[in-house]
This record gives sequence, C-alpha cells and structure tokens, in this order.
Amino acid sequence: MEQLLGYFLYLMSLLTVGGIYALLALGLNVQWGFAGLFNAGIAGFAAIGAYTYALLTTAESTYHYGGLGLPLFVGEIFAMTLAGIIAAIIGFICIRLRADYLAIATIGIAEIIKLIIKNESHVTNGPRGINKIPRTWEHLTEERFYTSPPLNWIKDQESWQLFFDSLPYWWWQPFFAGTILLLVFIVYLLLERARISPWGRMMIAVRENEGAASAAGKNVTRRRIEAFIVGAVIMGLAGAFLAQHVKLIEPTQTFDPSKMTFLVWVMLIAGGSGNNRGAILGAFLVWFIWSSSELVINGVIELFATMFDSVDIGILKNRAGFLRMLLIGLLLQLILQKYPKGILPEMRPAISGKFN
Amino acid sequence: MKRNLFLTGFCALSVATAGFSDVKVGNPMAVTGPIPELVKPMTAAIDLAVDHVNSQGGFFSGGEKYEVVRVDTGCDAVGGVDAVTKLINVELVTAIVGPVCSGVAIAQAQSVTIPAGVVTLSVSASSEAITNMESNTDLVFRTAASDAYQGVTLAELAISKGITDIAVSFANDDYNAAIAAVFVEAYKGMGGKITGNEAHEPAKASYRSEVATLGAGSNNLALFAYYGSSGITIMRNALETSAFSSFIGADGMLAQEVIDQIGAENLKNVTFTTSASDSSTDAFKAWKKLADAAAIPASDPFVPNSYDAAFLMALAIEKVGSADRSAIATALREVANGPGEKILPGEWKKAKEILAAGGSINYSGAAGPHDFDKNGDVAGLFSKNTVVDGKWKAVVIK
Repeated sequence: MEQLLGYFLYLMSLLTVGGIYALLALGLNVQWGFAGLFNAGIAGFAAIGAYTYALLTTAESTYHYGGLGLPLFVGEIFAMTLAGIIAAIIGFICIRLRADYLAIATIGIAEIIKLIIKNESHVTNGPRGINKIPRTWEHLTEERFYTSPPLNWIKDQESWQLFFDSLPYWWWQPFFAGTILLLVFIVYLLLERARISPWGRMMIAVRENEGAASAAGKNVTRRRIEAFIVGAVIMGLAGAFLAQHVKLIEPTQTFDPSKMTFLVWVMLIAGGSGNNRGAILGAFLVWFIWSSSELVINGVIELFATMFDSVDIGILKNRAGFLRMLLIGLLLQLILQKYPKGILPEMRPAISGKFN
Repeated sequence: MKRNLFLTGFCALSVATAGFSDVKVGNPMAVTGPIPELVKPMTAAIDLAVDHVNSQGGFFSGGEKYEVVRVDTGCDAVGGVDAVTKLINVELVTAIVGPVCSGVAIAQAQSVTIPAGVVTLSVSASSEAITNMESNTDLVFRTAASDAYQGVTLAELAISKGITDIAVSFANDDYNAAIAAVFVEAYKGMGGKITGNEAHEPAKASYRSEVATLGAGSNNLALFAYYGSSGITIMRNALETSAFSSFIGADGMLAQEVIDQIGAENLKNVTFTTSASDSSTDAFKAWKKLADAAAIPASDPFVPNSYDAAFLMALAIEKVGSADRSAIATALREVANGPGEKILPGEWKKAKEILAAGGSINYSGAAGPHDFDKNGDVAGLFSKNTVVDGKWKAVVIK
C-alpha cells in the first residue's frame, strides 16, 4: 500500500515537472515553431517569471526585497506580464536579426538577466537565492494564508489548523499537478486556436517566406514581435511554477542553460516543432525518460549484481550518473533518427479553420 | 518505446527490491555537475561506512543489510528535488544522507523531505541559510559546520593578527558570498574597519580594476574565491600592482596550485582557514587507519564528514530498532550527543552490543564530536594555513 502510494506520488511529481517543461516547450513553439524565431534565452525568461513570482508572494524576509506576501495568482500574473514586457523591449531592438544572430542576441540577453539577478543582491539575495516560495494549494497550510481572506471567512484559525492536520501530508500534490496540467491544457487550446486562425497562418507565411509575406502587405516585424512576446509570457508562467515546485531559486544552477534552454529545445525538436501536441508530448517524454532512467539504471545494475555474484558492481554504481547522461543522449539520437521531423510533425491548418 | 522502458524499469525494480528486509537510506549526491572530483572520495567514504556496518553484523538481531541508494542531483534544485522524490516515494528510504550542495539541500528539504517527515543529514551543505530554515520541525541535520562559524573564526584571526582595516573581495557565488557576508558582520562587530566590500565575477582574465579600486583603502585583503576561477588571478594582480601586501581567506583558496603559481616567497603574509579535523583525537586516528586501508584520502574536504554522516545514520536506525522514519530525528540526537559510551569510527559491533544491552552511546566522529545543536548544526573546527617551506602548513585553531 505504502509502495503504491509512493508510485502515485512519484507520478504526480513527474506530471508536475513534465507540465512545467511542457509550458516552456509550448512557449518556444510559438516562437520557433510558429514564427521561426531562434530563442536561445529560455532560461532568462523563466528566471524573470520565477523571480517576479518569488519576490511578490514570499513572506517578508530580511534576505531580499519584500517579499510582499501577495496572493499567488497576482504573482503569476505579474510573472507573465514582466516576462512579456521584457520580451517586447528585446523584440523592438533585435527581432529584425536573422535566425542565428537572434540566437546569439538571446543567449546574451539571458546571461545579462542572470547577471543582474546575481548582482542586485539587495533585491534578489544574489547568488544565495530566494527560498520558502509558496506553492499553490500547499500554501493554504501556511498560517499567513489561512488567517487572511478568503479562508478566514469560512473557518477560524484553529479549525483550519485541525483540518489541515487531519489531511495526509501529500494532499496538495495531486491538486498541484492537476493545476499545472490544467494550465497546459488551457495554453494548448489557446495556441491551437491561434494556430488555425488567420494570425497563425500568417505566422507560417512569415516563417516560410518573409519576402513574399511582406510583398503581400503583411507587417512581418510586428508579427514576429507578437510571437516573441506570446512565447515569453508562457515561459514566464512556467518560471513561476518552476519556482513553486523547487521552492528555492538561485541564478546559477537553477537557470543553467543546459538544463533550461537546451533541454527545452531538445523536447520541442523531439516532439515535433510547429505542433503544439508535439511540444507537450516531447516535454513529458523527455522528462519521464530523464527522471525514470535513474531508477531503471540502478535497477539493472542491481539485477546484474544478483545474476553475477562475482562481478564487483561498485565501479558501475559510481558511474551510474554519467551512464545515464550517455544513454539519454543515445536515446534522443535514436528518436531523431527515426522521426527527423519530430514524433508528431507539423500539420498545416486546414483552410476551413477546424481543429485537426 | 516509453512503455517498454517503463516495463523494463519496473521489472528491474521489483527484482531490486526483492530483498525487502534491507534497511534503505537514500543518498543524493552531486555525482555529475560542477564538482564531480570533489564528490568522488565522499561517495567512497559513505560506501566504506556501509561496508563497516554490514561486515560487523548489519542491523538489528536479524543482521539486515545497510543499503545506501545513491542518486544523482547534478547540484541543481530541479534534479535534486526529482532525485529525492524518487528516493522517498519509490525506494521508500528510511532517511536521507547526502545532499552535497547547499542549494539542493534546501530545495529538497523544503519541497520533499520536510513535508514527508523524513530526516535529512547533509554531508557538506554549509550555507548558513540552513540553520534557520525549519519552523516547528526538527528534520534537517548536517555533519559539516555552517559558513557562519568559519566567517567568525576568520574575523577573530584577522583581529588577533593585528589587522585593523581590511578590504573584502568575494566571488559572486552562493558559497563565497555567504561567507564574506558573515565575515564582514563579525569583523565590524569586533571593531575592525571594512574599507571596501566588492563582489567580482569569477573566471575573468584580469582583475586589475577591481584590485585597484579596493587597494586604495587598505593594504589587507580578505579574499573569498575559488583559487582556480578567480583567486589566483586576483592575488597575482594585487601583488603585481602592490595594491595589497597581506591576504586572508577561506577554504576555496587553499591549494598547492596557489603556491606553485604565485611562488612561496610572495606568500609570506597569507593565511587561509579551512574546516579541519583535529588529527590528534582518537576518533580521527581510528578513521585515518580505516581510510588508509581503503585507499580513501582521509583529510580531503568533507570526506570524514561523509563517513560520519553515513555511520551516524546507521547508529540512529539501530537505536530506533526498525526502519521507522518518524523516530530517526530523536535517535540521531541521542547517538550523536550522548551521554553514553564513546564510539569511534568503524566500531559498529561495539555500538550494536551496547545498544542491544539497552545502553546508550555517543559517537565521536572523524570530523569532530558531532554534537547537534537545536538547529541540527554542528560546531566546526578550523585550521589556519600558512606557507612553510613551499607547502601549506595547517595549525588547528582551538
């Protein structure tokens, strides 16, 4: 029973992180899949979202600015807004750059954002980061939330305390995972609607043949900026939920480009760029493989040990972490060999404007 | 593809978990990531502790095996939270011995272990933020001393050397920024004057402008950096421009490479502190003998702390008498703080016999006596290191 509950909670955690990555991949899909903008600064936009959310919603702290202790949804909305505003500023300056030049510019901008976070330590606590970030649903068990509206209208402090104590410690996990999955679904529906709308079809025209699109009277620059902003807003939202999931964010390791930017690229490319379902599938697939491969590899090593008593497995055990990276790289190679356009390739929207 | 992988995984898992009577402890380490070479001897030390427990009778009356399930955090919060989630939910470990990096230790504790009521005993997380992290729970412990202690020790050292004013330069990473902040507070509190306090970005080619700005105020520099990324360059720039003549600093600067690159003759006024083990204690001698036999570098950073953590956790589980998660914290305090018969590294059989007879024990570890205070912290022991005959010579500060 305990084991079953354990598997269930692990599945919830997989869905949570997979969902956060799915949001990032959907954001990138708007930028790259729709409009062909090579954004290599995903970590930067996620960091803006995460830090905005954290500063606005954490309880007051001596280590950093605030926290302002605002309701969580305010933090999430501001995370999206600020990520969008910064994307707009960047967009006006460098959106005219061609693919690879835009990539270089966005890498640079992501690093600038990280350096600002690292050095403005009176606001962000610098490299030591912000912790105790409130997590949706779980935050209700914190005293400052159940003693303030709307919760204190329903019951008084003591009965809330008793109520939360009577719940199992993991009660919020399925709700948290469900909230993220719901958001992924909402963002998916919106983007799917956008994709088959005239706006989405124009995106394809801009991406495939910019000259022809602008000759047909389309404002190419404006469309590109729009896609850049929409993508960044979604990334900002993902950043806010990433901060909730890990509860401690710091600029160097949490927003390391290899684990944020490039992993999201791998997810989108493997799943199928240009296809929203592909982006979601890629994110969940890559994260599931990444996370569960550790259990599989450890299990296989144990199996080896029980099958061949004489073999010393210490050497394998010490290298399991590196072995995992190698195998995942290999697996991705295989996926890309088999599905060069991603597992779910892009489908052109039908003229009728129906979902396909 | 995915389903096959999962099926294989679950098959492998069910085989792996067949030996149900083993006592499992989770061990998230930064196997990959920024510091793999530092972590390698630490994992070896943990494996040695497991060996000692298993070869001297294992757990309880049935001789159950001590099994440490190692996972990789990569030293980042997302990876660490994921790794510990697997340990707690899938492997159903009794407790966590491990997180190497402070950031991972904090993230995994707040996100996973504290809500689940599982004890974390960190082997090397030294951030002072861990001290006051918990409210109303007693679940996070560590066998490494907080940076706060080393910063204070260094400030005391500076005052005792007669340094009345000093400039501070620190690398902008979590470790060095934290220890610099503690040093500045403590030094000011002892009546010293800080003439300048600047962060620097690691791994730049030159720090001449930083050194020139800071050097205007004082001849003494407190340098908090890793030698490889910025420390050596800053010292070289400082000596070239005669901006500073004397230096103090912490662990990150302590390496033979500093002497090789800058020259012993230029390092007369240099003192670096590091967390140290008092090599004169019985416990350290016992550990040294065991470590040498297993070809583990006994005095490397956090290696004795790692052994102690794995061994202490085993003692606590034996004390509880079952793999019950909820009783570990109390038992851990009892076996570490005493009172009771003194147990040295490697003395599992003796400890087991005393506990079986209903006695109490007090583990005295390789890295120190490990008496946990109310926050689950241990007092640190530090050494001051100066250059003697072209080598670092350590003297333990008592």
